[in-house]
Amino acid sequence: MKYVHLVLRNMTRNKRRLALTVMSIAVSLFVFSALVSLPAVANQIVASSASSVRLVCYNKAGLTYSLPEAYKQKIALAPHVEAVVSQGWFGGIYHDPTDQFPNFAIDHEQADLVWPDWFPPGVAAAFKHLRTACVVGPATMKRFGWHVGQQVMLKGTIYPFNPTFTIVGELTSKAPPDFFLFRRDYLEEMAGRPGFVSLFYIKADSSDSMPLIAAHLDETFANSSAETQTESESSFYAGFLSNYQALFRMASALGMIVVISIGLVAANTAAMSIRERRSEIAVMRSIGFSRHLILGMLVGESVIIGVVGGLLGCGSAYVLLKLVSVGGRGIPEIRIPPIVVAESLVLAAILGLLSGYFPARSAARRNIVDALRTVA
Amino acid sequence: MDKYAIDVEHVSRIYKRDEFEIRALDDLTIHVPEGKFVAIMGPSGSGKTTLLNLIAGIDHPTTGRVAVGGEEITGMKERELARWRGRHIGLVFQFYNLIPVLTAFENVELPLLLTQLGKADRREHVETALRVVGLADRMNHYPRQLSGGQEQRVAIARALVTDPTIIVADEPTGDLDAKSAEEILNLLVELNRQFKKTIVMVTHDSRAERHVETVYRLDKGVLVGIEEGKGVATHKAAGAQA
Repeated sequence: MKYVHLVLRNMTRNKRRLALTVMSIAVSLFVFSALVSLPAVANQIVASSASSVRLVCYNKAGLTYSLPEAYKQKIALAPHVEAVVSQGWFGGIYHDPTDQFPNFAIDHEQADLVWPDWFPPGVAAAFKHLRTACVVGPATMKRFGWHVGQQVMLKGTIYPFNPTFTIVGELTSKAPPDFFLFRRDYLEEMAGRPGFVSLFYIKADSSDSMPLIAAHLDETFANSSAETQTESESSFYAGFLSNYQALFRMASALGMIVVISIGLVAANTAAMSIRERRSEIAVMRSIGFSRHLILGMLVGESVIIGVVGGLLGCGSAYVLLKLVSVGGRGIPEIRIPPIVVAESLVLAAILGLLSGYFPARSAARRNIVDALRTVA
Repeated sequence: MDKYAIDVEHVSRIYKRDEFEIRALDDLTIHVPEGKFVAIMGPSGSGKTTLLNLIAGIDHPTTGRVAVGGEEITGMKERELARWRGRHIGLVFQFYNLIPVLTAFENVELPLLLTQLGKADRREHVETALRVVGLADRMNHYPRQLSGGQEQRVAIARALVTDPTIIVADEPTGDLDAKSAEEILNLLVELNRQFKKTIVMVTHDSRAERHVETVYRLDKGVLVGIEEGKGVATHKAAGAQA
């Protein structure tokens, strides 16, 4: 501990350079943590649904194709199925085209059975009671300043009408925070009962029966005009998100490129700083400081700079992403997952370690007499 | 017979610069008795600083042996040598070589960080050392806030604070005006007298001869003469008074 003071004094000897180095690392870690959060958030969605006993049944031709709502009866009668809810994408906006958020029409009868932890007590009953009811995630409520009991009108972008809804409750924190769910019978009525849905959510009686249900349903609807693909919810999300894998990989690669390039700049700065102090290092060694101690102190400086930069970068990325998602503009809420924070800080420490280690090692190993002669 | 603080026996030091070999010291033998204040003098390139570096354990001889305080340092490994320097050597440089971001107090405290002393003990040692060099009132000043002479005093306090076996000074007056140089030489004499410190000083400064007991003259890496310094009379007188 007695050397910490010495490390800090040396580290802060050129405050402008220190601030610029910390800021450059902070910027690189800001970019890294923000970009890497995208795939991490996607992985989190998949991981969070891994333990669910829900299946998703959709058109085998793809998600853009619909299924007849009549399938619901057959699905409900299939063995091991506890509940089934059909879902349709409405694609409405609030006022402006930028006011986008996920809004779905769902069957109200068994919604609380399929998603039991999404509805607070009493809300499911209210949702079933009122045909124009809707339930909204907390982020969307906050974004538009809505409150329970308020009537809101959404503008249809796919459907040629603008339905008005009554907010009967707020979804719990277990539901996606920006979801807007309303009753499908209301949509059907306005659309003239076309009788098609995007997909079905099915609750199985146990995880063991999920493959049996999937096989049974896909076999049932085989050779029909709308063949189905049924899979577990986590598998469905993973498949859906796999479409974005190239983008995620590019984001991660871009983040690493930024970190590496800033790391090289930081290494150059560390090398300059250490080179300027060669004489002092020689003096310290001549009065008894060992090479290892000198190396440890110099590397310690770099690691502290890296970690401080990392904390600043991660912190500002967290705040900015939160502000952007709260501010709306159609951007879904992205929170930097703890694993990304940990990765970023470890990366920052490694960045500091590597940028400082090589010039520090060279300085610590330099012949004392040569280093002193350079001064004279 | 005097006990030797420094034994340099048949030491040669050869530097390789590209394809050239430079013989800085050539089969040099010097014995410095304990408690003496001696100067090593000679023209540029005579090997003075090389000899000092060998005595201080910051360089290794090509051949021969060096013993300081009865301890042979020639075969010591780097880490062992660093520890030894911390315990036995106090170094004073021509350009003071203080750490600019540390105060006078912190600069003097620096070698004590390597010891087992606690904070309070370190403070006591540092305050004593700064009092000895007459800078007790400047301990919170940074090197840039001190004159050259004061900086060199701080450097001497840093060399003194661990109570080393010998103090090694390389041109300690080389960057100072005449008045400051005189003050530094007087301070070294005082340290030698009061604390019985063996002091080896490399210098070009002819004034130094008035202060030291023995002058070792080198030329081209060879010892060409050992002279009694003019300071010897003062030393003897001081010894008689004591």
